[in-house]
Amino acid sequence: MGFNRRQLLRSSAGVGALLFVAACTDNADPSGPARRGGTLRVGALGTAARIERDPHANLSNDSDFLITSLVYDALTVPGDKPNTVARLATSWEPDAAQRRWAFTIAEGATFHDGAPVTADDVVWSLRRLRSVGGASKMPVAAEDITADGPNRVVLSVPEPNTQLPLLVRLMTFTVRKDTTDFTKAIGTGPFRLESFQGGNARLVRNENWHGAGVEPRLPLLDAIEITMFESVTALGNAVLGGQIDLASNVGAIAGRTAEGRGDLRVVRRANDTMLGVAMRAADGPFADPRVRAAVRLGVDRKALVDQVHSGYGTIANDILGTADPTYDSSIPQRTRDIERAKTLLREANFDTGRSYPLVTKPEAPGEVESAKVIATQLADIGLRLDVVEQESNAFYDRTWLQAPLYTVSWGTNDSTIFYASKLMSSASNRNETAFKDRDFDAATTAALAAADPAELERSSRRVQAIQHERGGYLVWGMADGIDIATSAVRDLPTLGGFGRVQLERVWLA
Amino acid sequence: MTTFARLLLRRVALLLALLAAVFVAVDLLPGNTARAVLGREATPEQVAAKERELGLDRPLVVRFLDWISGVATGDFGRTARGRSINELLAAKFPPTLLLGGVALTVTVLASVLLGAWWATRSRGVAARVLQPGSTVAAAVPEFVLATLLIMVFSLATGWLPAVTITGRSGFPVSADMLVLPVLALAIPQIGWNTRVVRAALADAARAPHVESAVLDGLSTPHVLSRYLLPFAAPTIVASFATTVGMLLGGALVVETIFNYPGLGAVLAGSVADRDTSVVAAVVALSGVVIMLMLAVADGIRAWSLRGRR
Repeated sequence: MGFNRRQLLRSSAGVGALLFVAACTDNADPSGPARRGGTLRVGALGTAARIERDPHANLSNDSDFLITSLVYDALTVPGDKPNTVARLATSWEPDAAQRRWAFTIAEGATFHDGAPVTADDVVWSLRRLRSVGGASKMPVAAEDITADGPNRVVLSVPEPNTQLPLLVRLMTFTVRKDTTDFTKAIGTGPFRLESFQGGNARLVRNENWHGAGVEPRLPLLDAIEITMFESVTALGNAVLGGQIDLASNVGAIAGRTAEGRGDLRVVRRANDTMLGVAMRAADGPFADPRVRAAVRLGVDRKALVDQVHSGYGTIANDILGTADPTYDSSIPQRTRDIERAKTLLREANFDTGRSYPLVTKPEAPGEVESAKVIATQLADIGLRLDVVEQESNAFYDRTWLQAPLYTVSWGTNDSTIFYASKLMSSASNRNETAFKDRDFDAATTAALAAADPAELERSSRRVQAIQHERGGYLVWGMADGIDIATSAVRDLPTLGGFGRVQLERVWLA
Repeated sequence: MTTFARLLLRRVALLLALLAAVFVAVDLLPGNTARAVLGREATPEQVAAKERELGLDRPLVVRFLDWISGVATGDFGRTARGRSINELLAAKFPPTLLLGGVALTVTVLASVLLGAWWATRSRGVAARVLQPGSTVAAAVPEFVLATLLIMVFSLATGWLPAVTITGRSGFPVSADMLVLPVLALAIPQIGWNTRVVRAALADAARAPHVESAVLDGLSTPHVLSRYLLPFAAPTIVASFATTVGMLLGGALVVETIFNYPGLGAVLAGSVADRDTSVVAAVVALSGVVIMLMLAVADGIRAWSLRGRR
């Protein structure tokens, strides 16, 4: 055989490239028009003990969230650019002060039992969401949610807030006024619940869907069957073994396995999960901005992405909200500089003679591993870290918002202002880094009050610049969300975070 | 019969002590049930309100007595998320019983056959295969075995499904989905029990009446079924009774790997949520099953030892 190693390598690289091209074109340009019909079998993660049918309760199972967001409509949903698009609300406009937002309900929107959706239903649902889910799910107080005519709902807030349409994305599931039994699951969404058993569900197309903001208006799939998987390994095996058509959020390991398979496609949804480190800025060993800068200069971001996310991700620049349309990519990327980091620690009189606990938890994939890699990398600048692993439940009880140094994870990374106001402004009750900065607060407030887009962008850039310069987070990278699908599945969602649940446009070739 | 009643009473007392221990153990774990239910976004006020709602602000002893008095009337209470535990168990226990029952049947049949084969041919192929084979089988953990089975019989060959898909009945949609989970559960138990059966038969074979039966020229199956097995039965049955506990424990792991809809998953999730009532309910149910199996073993033992004391 006249076939040497180099030729073999070249040919396999060629085959690889071909497969890659095939995989790309497969997704972007399906041959032929979208077809109607078929049943999509989806696997999603979930735990039997945490099954939740109430759309306003804490939906900690991916599988429940998927079912809920196909059966019910939220006021708005995530989009690409802009990051907020219409769903049950077709349009929204603020008053001049950005304090009073009026949302118009989609024309012809009906519940699955045929009843029309009224402003009263929406008001009742939003108020219930507020009382069941709290302020983090519904930022507007119950008495400030009011109906304005039969098809308009007004949300009022005490301070200007340009982000309200964004804040009512996905969670604001609308139910009939006075609903008490959520097992019947009468929503307004693109699919109707046909059966539910132990976390698994079969959904069928809602022929009467209003379909606001979506093209084609009606879903093409006849049905979606959702199976709950307790373990990510089982979910991966199910799609590799051909028992399901789509493994939702199955992670990098399964992605690598599926990569070599011609009958499967790996869907990488960028900016899915942020894994980072929160450094307490108010007091303690990391209060000095120079120490925080040293930590940020001491890590090798590329190596972290490669090792922790198995390469399925991108490096980040210590700013939260990388998929924001106003994300400032002109800020220079911070790269590793061991000498500079050492100098900064010295200048800050940092005690390198002792070691510091870095608390982590097995929550997001790779989170514990990331802490270990970071500890190894930071040893190079003379910062000694002891990785302390806590069980998730204990972590949120004892460490979160309190410890000087711990790992964090956040999804839905498409808004810088969301994170600025929720996690970093002085008044926030989820201020993970205990960051209190007057300039930052001012810029955040300005962004929340900005009436015109140019002003919003300017404030957003200021927020990002301060985060980059002296914030409390080490944001080293963003993981891609990894879904695996058989090659017949088309038009899958490509947005990061909870964008993955928007399966109403999917069809089967 | 009074001995049996006293034994039963002692086992019930043991179960009660075990359940109390479960309550204490889950309570000692760091973490908070109310926060697990509400999610990380919950404010301290919300967490406190939920704790009041769930009665978690009461002393542990009061919570335990409250729960156990409910259990006495057949009501296991509610999960921290407000679902009826009775309904949860009614949905998840039958599939686990099916899996465990089939695995136990396979274990009993295979280990009796293999053990008998080995005992009768102590120097042939049987011994050469089973001596190392049974040790390996007994030593391999379920999760390693399960992973190997999936790789070989599902991902490489495509002969059997890799995971279980649950139908509307709450059971697997097709029977072939049971094969791999049953094998993963049964193989280690077959390994162990084959050795027990073989040793028990070998012991029984040394009895003088067996020797005379062999010398009388009775056929091997006849000697085995009439002279050996009845004498070896108490040991063998006791071993199978212990296997029930091992199978239930192994089911926890195996169910997760194969996505099998059963109690194992419920238990794992409930421990993570610190949902004490659910954990205790699962322990109580498993405890009762094990107790019943031990009672059956005791019965068989008493029957086979009849007139020999």
